[in-house]
Amino acid sequence: MATNWAERISAFSRSPTRFLSGTTAEAFLAELLRELRDDRASYSVKVLLLSPLCEHPTLLCPSDSVGEETTLELMSVFAQCPPKFVGFRCHLLLALTSVLICTSCASGRSRASQDFLDLLLQIIQDPSDLHSDGSLRSLCATACDCLRELEACCPGLLSQRIELLGGLRQQETSRLHQPYAALQTLVLRNAVFQLTQEKGAGAEHLKALLGGITSVAWEADQDSGLMNNKDSAVLSSLILGNMGVVPTLQTGPDCKELRSVLSSLLEESYLLTPLCQAALLHRLTEVVAMVPSIPPAIFRAQLLRLLGTSEVCLLHSTLLMKCAYTDSLFSAEDEAFILKRLVVLSQHPRLTAPEKLFYMDCILHFPENRPIDSGDESLPVLLTPQLASALAPTVLNDSATLLSRFNLLSLVHLEEGEEAEEGQGLEYLYEHLTSLLHIVENGGSREIVVTFFRAVFLFLFYFHHVERYSTGLTEQLCKLYLHHTHLAPHLINLADQTQDKLSESNWAVGLLTALQKAITSLTQLSVKDVKWHLKMLARVAEEGEIPQRNTLSFLSKVITPSFSSLCESGDWRQGNNVLGVCRRLLVHPSLDSLLIPLADILQHLARCYRDTDIQDHARLYYTLLTTLSREKLAGVMMQGTTEGGRQVKKRSLSSCMSEGEELTSLLTIHQTEKAIFRLTEAQSEPRQQSKDVDLDQDEAENCPEEANAALEVYRAQFSDPSFASEVTLKYQLAHTNGHDSRFDHLFSIRLHFGHTDNHYEKLPDISVSCLFRERPSPVVQLRLKPRQPYPTTLHATAIFTTQDGLSWHTAVPDIHIAFEQTFMPLPSPRTWGQDGKLSAFEGLWEEMCTEKGESAISLFCCQLEEAALNALVRKHFLSYLVSDPSQKEELKVLFFLPPQCHILLKIRSKEDAVHFNIATDNWQLLPHIGSYLLTITAAQEDPPS
Amino acid sequence: MTIRALWIISQEKGDNVSIRFSRRFSTVEHRAKILAGSSYVAVPEESTILQLLLTELGLSDPDKAYVAVRDDCLHRPRSPALELRVDGPEKGILWPMLVISQGPLILACLPLVDVPPEPRPPLASLLSVSQGLTLLAGLQIFLLGSGSKPDGEGLVSRLAMLPSVLLQVCPLGTPLDVPLLGPPATPTVPTVTGNQKQPAWKTGLHRGRAVVNVALTETVRSMQYGSRSRQDLWDVFGTVSCKCEVEGVLPNVMVTLSLPPNGSPLQDILVHPCVTSLDSSILTASSVDNCDSSAFSGPYKFPFSPPLEPFRLCSYTSQVPVPPILGSYQLREEENQLHVAVTLKLHESVKNSFEYCEARLPFFNRDQMSVVDVKVSYGQLDTSKEKNLLVWALGQKFPKSHEVTMEGKISFSGPTNGPSDPLCTGLTAYIKLYFKVPDMTLSGCSVDQHSVQVYSSAKPRIVTSRELISKDYFIWNSTGAAPVSSGPMMM
Repeated sequence: MATNWAERISAFSRSPTRFLSGTTAEAFLAELLRELRDDRASYSVKVLLLSPLCEHPTLLCPSDSVGEETTLELMSVFAQCPPKFVGFRCHLLLALTSVLICTSCASGRSRASQDFLDLLLQIIQDPSDLHSDGSLRSLCATACDCLRELEACCPGLLSQRIELLGGLRQQETSRLHQPYAALQTLVLRNAVFQLTQEKGAGAEHLKALLGGITSVAWEADQDSGLMNNKDSAVLSSLILGNMGVVPTLQTGPDCKELRSVLSSLLEESYLLTPLCQAALLHRLTEVVAMVPSIPPAIFRAQLLRLLGTSEVCLLHSTLLMKCAYTDSLFSAEDEAFILKRLVVLSQHPRLTAPEKLFYMDCILHFPENRPIDSGDESLPVLLTPQLASALAPTVLNDSATLLSRFNLLSLVHLEEGEEAEEGQGLEYLYEHLTSLLHIVENGGSREIVVTFFRAVFLFLFYFHHVERYSTGLTEQLCKLYLHHTHLAPHLINLADQTQDKLSESNWAVGLLTALQKAITSLTQLSVKDVKWHLKMLARVAEEGEIPQRNTLSFLSKVITPSFSSLCESGDWRQGNNVLGVCRRLLVHPSLDSLLIPLADILQHLARCYRDTDIQDHARLYYTLLTTLSREKLAGVMMQGTTEGGRQVKKRSLSSCMSEGEELTSLLTIHQTEKAIFRLTEAQSEPRQQSKDVDLDQDEAENCPEEANAALEVYRAQFSDPSFASEVTLKYQLAHTNGHDSRFDHLFSIRLHFGHTDNHYEKLPDISVSCLFRERPSPVVQLRLKPRQPYPTTLHATAIFTTQDGLSWHTAVPDIHIAFEQTFMPLPSPRTWGQDGKLSAFEGLWEEMCTEKGESAISLFCCQLEEAALNALVRKHFLSYLVSDPSQKEELKVLFFLPPQCHILLKIRSKEDAVHFNIATDNWQLLPHIGSYLLTITAAQEDPPS
Repeated sequence: MTIRALWIISQEKGDNVSIRFSRRFSTVEHRAKILAGSSYVAVPEESTILQLLLTELGLSDPDKAYVAVRDDCLHRPRSPALELRVDGPEKGILWPMLVISQGPLILACLPLVDVPPEPRPPLASLLSVSQGLTLLAGLQIFLLGSGSKPDGEGLVSRLAMLPSVLLQVCPLGTPLDVPLLGPPATPTVPTVTGNQKQPAWKTGLHRGRAVVNVALTETVRSMQYGSRSRQDLWDVFGTVSCKCEVEGVLPNVMVTLSLPPNGSPLQDILVHPCVTSLDSSILTASSVDNCDSSAFSGPYKFPFSPPLEPFRLCSYTSQVPVPPILGSYQLREEENQLHVAVTLKLHESVKNSFEYCEARLPFFNRDQMSVVDVKVSYGQLDTSKEKNLLVWALGQKFPKSHEVTMEGKISFSGPTNGPSDPLCTGLTAYIKLYFKVPDMTLSGCSVDQHSVQVYSSAKPRIVTSRELISKDYFIWNSTGAAPVSSGPMMM
């Protein structure tokens, strides 16, 4: 059993949705809670069981009420757990915290959350010889962490406890002072923030807060919850540099109490772990920023220690301090020192690569005292080329470091590149590129190749205007390509991106021209290379400015038997590569001058290429070329071309064919951005059993009185497996609100459904001939065949055609099938009257009351006036009623749920409440019945006024 | 200052990649949802995360030479904070995904962005980023040990300990500490400690004889080109490691580093967080500044209160005028034969007493060596199993002349399956030196046993040591093109 749980829990955490598709969240939660209460289960397994609640509380507790119930359950488990199982108790506290916060029970300050808060406060104050046992200490530390998390998610929750927390921290000499300090700091920060938001708050309020003078209980303070601000300001860090404004609290100079709290926290900050120290410093930085009468100099005593540290988070918190206080704490000299320090840290041999990269990023976003602009990545003024030279990239760097350094140095030398073309730094960067190129030439790994092309792009991005280098680069890349033709995709990508991002530069065209020249002047070709050359030339042919004569002569050379065996080989892919070039040439602006040689090539392919498909396509192109006018040809070939100079690359299998990316627009299916239509439940009369049972004349009068006999007849019907196995639901197919006139008229819609669980059989696709926005919505019938009649959600997608002939694929909003939608009246033989049904009801009831197998009985009570009950019955139960409606003292209701489940209700009004006696032959339906009854009776209790 | 989720992924040579551990912090996620508002992107399920991470790290589809989403030249993965593009119904960008990897492990976590998400804030504005990096590095050391040697069983048992470790160091997504390496210290017996508070980073109290161990290690790196157009480069960095077994809750210890009279100042000093205070003069010297001869040059005092476990008290860099071993390497190619000439010269200031000294000459990306007709003036020459590497063991001492040479011819024939390195092709070749010299430092820096002060009642035993080791010590063939740019840049 234990291994079973380990597997199940890990399956759940791998993919909660897939796991829950095999069961339901409610059932899984119930199982978890049952096992947690089970005394026989070991505590190591129980710790495991808590992890779904810690990690996915909202999946298991979808509503606040479930959250509340779960909390109460867990609290009782906590109360019953022997104190020696500290690990389990700690995990239990974490699970409770997670459930309460995520279900918003904590922010709603529910009963259970209040009980839990009391429990936590009791644990952290528990004087019962805390010091005698280290294990109790870890429970106390976890309780502090839970409180801190509650305060973090519900700011202001503990604002009345600042003094208590301060006292606990100061008395504590064991390592527990750390969680106390972390908690106290956060509560203090949130409380001060709260005061800044209150009009007229000042020194007195602050003093009261710190002195714990307000003895008002928490309950009274409900309205001041900070999260009522609705916005997330209180959760945000207040240190945003020149981007943000810190709310302030005007206190006048007298702030002794706060000052002493801050000093005491700072004095002891050294005793905290670096991670906690950094968090504490950050919170205190915020507090001091909010209270202008406390000078930032309060931090000065800590600064040297922090600036010399090897811990990345401590230095980071110092940088955030700099960001918050600028020159009120850091002089210009300090600033220069910190920047130098950052440069040192960015390449310190003792630090890890990620740390160094982080520091380099800090240089690019250096919090200057006097920032000039707040652009994305801008260099601090003080970063001179000489200083930055320490960060020059080398080939021994890892890729990320290399590119980061390359980028930084490029920024540093950007001005240099503009002013004089003879910058030493620029020279260095170019040489570095050359070194990388040599490594690529010598067979560098894929990673180095990718890094090299990224570095080239960066270089061009910053320095494409420096001709000396950009032409040099073109030459080097051409040479590289001829030796390593497999780099073609990289080069094409480079050309695409430089053309796209550097619209003012013509570098990409230059590169492509040079590549064309290099390829077409080759005298010897290997088959392997031809593939890449053709891809490259196809890209070159997309450029209207580049003359294509050489490309054509290359093509005719390639298909000449004496030069290569391409035509004889009949390789379909290679043939497509050739056609790909031709196809682009067909739309090339200089087509007129290419006409005859191109026609020759196509004709040759059509005659000689040893692949019928290629021949056919060549013939088609030939016909198009020789019979259509320029304009028409362009029209045909450009059909479906997306806007913009070069078409957006849509990779699909069919674009491997040389109809290429443009024609495929008609052939491929496009994806809509948003949902175009949705399915909404059609209002319908109570459902009939979907499969009509033939009226059997022999049994027409036969309506057994005796219950068992009736059941027998009833059950005999199920010998036909398709009998009453489907629920038919009617839905209307209608446009969503978004108005896109392209989608006003849709044709040949095919709806495809997918399940989120395996409680239902697969649904067949549904076709709808058309959907017009202005016409009434068509109704579609979903024939659901349950395996288990649970509520479910269906995914749906659709393919359809628009008026312009394009095909589209779209997602349809999920369809939620409620539990009650699977209800059907008893599928009794048609000949039966009311009595027969009643007999069957009694027979079933009797069987279920034995609670054998899957059967179960239950009771649901609620308070309903007679009129309300009548209304409820009329509205929800009428078609399922088997007893005489006039017999008010006991109503009998029977729901049939395919494939063969029954829910029977006996409803009686007692003096205090209405009793719904429930019997079912499938106990797993009970939670669904419960929530169904709860919903409908709750709606009846408070009718809309 | 919190993280939303944490993943630990193992990969064995590109294939068989799997998520070995993951943890989501639901309460932090709850905050993430509130903070990000409409730009909130939920954390996808494990398999999606894995796929996205591998693509971003360039590790997906290892057998394909070019994959557009992975290799686009426009896209520069901003390690250590990557962005993952989530597709599908909940599309959006997950950022900043912190990733560190070493050996077989990839560790990743997603910090909470607690500042307005649009426009994208700089990394530096998120304290959770540096905290996440610290946590990941701590977990990495915990899982792999300080070496990166993958140890299958050890890893499995360490992974199994993670839930209880995280309960201590990051129970609800807020990193509190890094995992302890050793077994958890037994809870100390209650002591009357007076008012002194026990530091949170100190897991217990030491009982018994006081011992203070201070070890100074200097590492030297070098790039020598033997060319006029290229300046040779070398640098030195030092680390002071301590293990202090001293009684008391918060005992005071002071370690002093001193330099010889004309030694150049220690630069770029970084200290452990247990150092209680620092003199500003200690931090002034920096390698990125122009050297100032009047700069403070010690003694460097580090007062601290030690943790129980061994720790790195401080580290520094130093500029020394000469490299310890100066080499020259010349290759000439003639008819499938390679003429080799090497000279290594030990500088006279370096103590001629090595623990080991070895030169390795790789000949990668060519056929395997068939005939090695090479003579060395000193030491022993060996050929590697794959026949593409010469190993020249120089032993404990250089000869009296302080100079050793190698000369001869190598012929190549037959394919080899050994390691390869694109930095070593044709005449672009190097010698890599491995050596260790006990009881010396290049900077001259030392820790005098008598300068270590321990303020406690019992007299402690104090052990100090120092050593010099090499790392990335390259001597490039001067007749080939070294794959490095010229210029006055340091490594």
